[in-house]
Amino acid sequence: MSTIDWAVLILTLGGIIIYGVYKSRSSRNLEGYFLSNREMPWWIVLLSIMGTQASAVTFLSAPGQAYTDGMRFVQYYFGLPFAMVVLCITFVPIFHKLKLYTAYEFLEKRFDVKTRTYTSFLFLLSRALSTGISVYAPAIILSSLLGWNIYLTNIVMGGMLIIYTVTGGARAVAYTQQLQLIIVFIGLIIAGYMVVHFLPANVGFTDALLIGGKMGKFNVITTGISEKGFDWTDRFNIFSGVIGGFFLSLAYFGTDQSQVGRYLTAKSVRESRMGLLMNGIVKVPMQFLILLIGVLVFTFYQFNSAPVFFNDIPLSQLRESDKADSLKLLEDSYSSLSKEKQKLVADFVQQPNGSAESDRVTDQMLDIQEKQNSLREEVKQLVEKNVSKSESNDTNYIFIRFVLDHLPAGLVGLLIAIIFLAAWGSIAAALNSLASATVVDFHKKFINKNLTDEQDFRVSRWYTLLWGVFCVAVAIFVTGLGSLIEAVNVLGSWFYGVMLGIFLVAFYMKKIGGNAVFVAAIVGEIIVIGTYAFTDIGWLWLNVIGAVAVVFLAWILQVTIFASSKQGVKQI
Amino acid sequence: MPETDEKPPLFKTWKGWYALVIGLLLLQIILFAQLTKLFS
Repeated sequence: MSTIDWAVLILTLGGIIIYGVYKSRSSRNLEGYFLSNREMPWWIVLLSIMGTQASAVTFLSAPGQAYTDGMRFVQYYFGLPFAMVVLCITFVPIFHKLKLYTAYEFLEKRFDVKTRTYTSFLFLLSRALSTGISVYAPAIILSSLLGWNIYLTNIVMGGMLIIYTVTGGARAVAYTQQLQLIIVFIGLIIAGYMVVHFLPANVGFTDALLIGGKMGKFNVITTGISEKGFDWTDRFNIFSGVIGGFFLSLAYFGTDQSQVGRYLTAKSVRESRMGLLMNGIVKVPMQFLILLIGVLVFTFYQFNSAPVFFNDIPLSQLRESDKADSLKLLEDSYSSLSKEKQKLVADFVQQPNGSAESDRVTDQMLDIQEKQNSLREEVKQLVEKNVSKSESNDTNYIFIRFVLDHLPAGLVGLLIAIIFLAAWGSIAAALNSLASATVVDFHKKFINKNLTDEQDFRVSRWYTLLWGVFCVAVAIFVTGLGSLIEAVNVLGSWFYGVMLGIFLVAFYMKKIGGNAVFVAAIVGEIIVIGTYAFTDIGWLWLNVIGAVAVVFLAWILQVTIFASSKQGVKQI
Repeated sequence: MPETDEKPPLFKTWKGWYALVIGLLLLQIILFAQLTKLFS
């Protein structure tokens, strides 16, 4: 990175920390620290919700996803607007009416202490581990590409934000997320503009989309249905997106304290609802535009030489091994195919769309693309067999590699800063929510119930700091663990469905009590993990399975084993 | 379902907002399906 990039990076990150500390004034009590005195307007709630959901990997991974697999990933968000509506109808009014600090308090009011504690524990377990990974995942990418020390990068990625998160609580988190998102969007718009700007003079924006589309990257809507019927292992299609995405979004926004804590900061039910509904309106187009950058980057590489593999570190290792000749052969073949394709793409742009000549050139382009995909696959196999399995997927490296190789000085620093800011936004909210669940659901419940406001405030700060240190420690610990990280990435889906099932029973099945739902939740968890371990079913479906299993089992248990027992049945 | 007496902006009831959110999603899905056809 150049001096100007370093200056932009340091100024942006330093500015956010100073702004966060400046915005740290809050009442020295639980409501002030965790819920910003419940005084936020809807647009701050909206930006806070978006900043919490969009992690660094969102911005690193989505364009790479579009580059390799096309736009169909956007379907993953189709269930989200439906979930926002259900939350506004059911969850939000009850959470506000009961003046909750955490979502899990509601479960004690509705069921019993054990159900509340179990669900809060599931949240702490999954959120703490996934936050550790969300520190590590962008840190390993940046450290690989820029040659930074991974441990130091982990500390900057997960540690610097602790300063304002500990001092300012939810208020500092919300205000910094607002500024972070504005910078992120400005950076992405500039990046998108630059990709189009770098295309040949005779290639416009729609030409770029057409080239990407002809090469199979504009597959926004897919059904997952083939001659063999519906493919349950297909990760992203309109059905898994609407149904699986609905359950995932409902679980994430309705039962994960990192999100519930954001809209509980709103000054009224109206402001919470508006924040969530606006999220339902802007989320899909926002993801569409981020993916579109990936398609544009793909088109850019149709006119320029693309690396056969975007993470250079494992390639360097292969070059120093006895596989160097094999790699050289693959790289040379890929490069000559690229040159051949560049001529065809230049020819394609000259042809009227839909003409016989255009179709002929498209077929040739696709043929070369297929050969290149095979070569990329062979390189991945080489990496997997001779370096490590976890480094054989370069999707997350594609966009940042484009930034580093092609964007001018200053913009590189800004885009790197965006990765940090996106990470900080989601990690800060996670730390705030981990601390609130620990203080409210465990410390004040089981350790010390009679704390003064000032003691509450101090304990909350300490827990925020402890969770921050824990998450950085997880990030440092997983460095080098490889395949374990992939498992942790789907960890949320192991728990979200079950947690959602518990809340659905609480809201909609008034005659089911705490004992039935508690046993159903434990059995449901075993079913989900068993399904994950013994089938290839797409992970989005795990959320559906978990929720349906808990609802169904709780009902069966209530009408059989717990039929005579009214214990645990409470009405709100 | 619990209801609140807080009025939403623009619409008379919250149902108007819910319909808007779902309606916009459906419009986007139709638009995306057309774009998929157009650019493939």
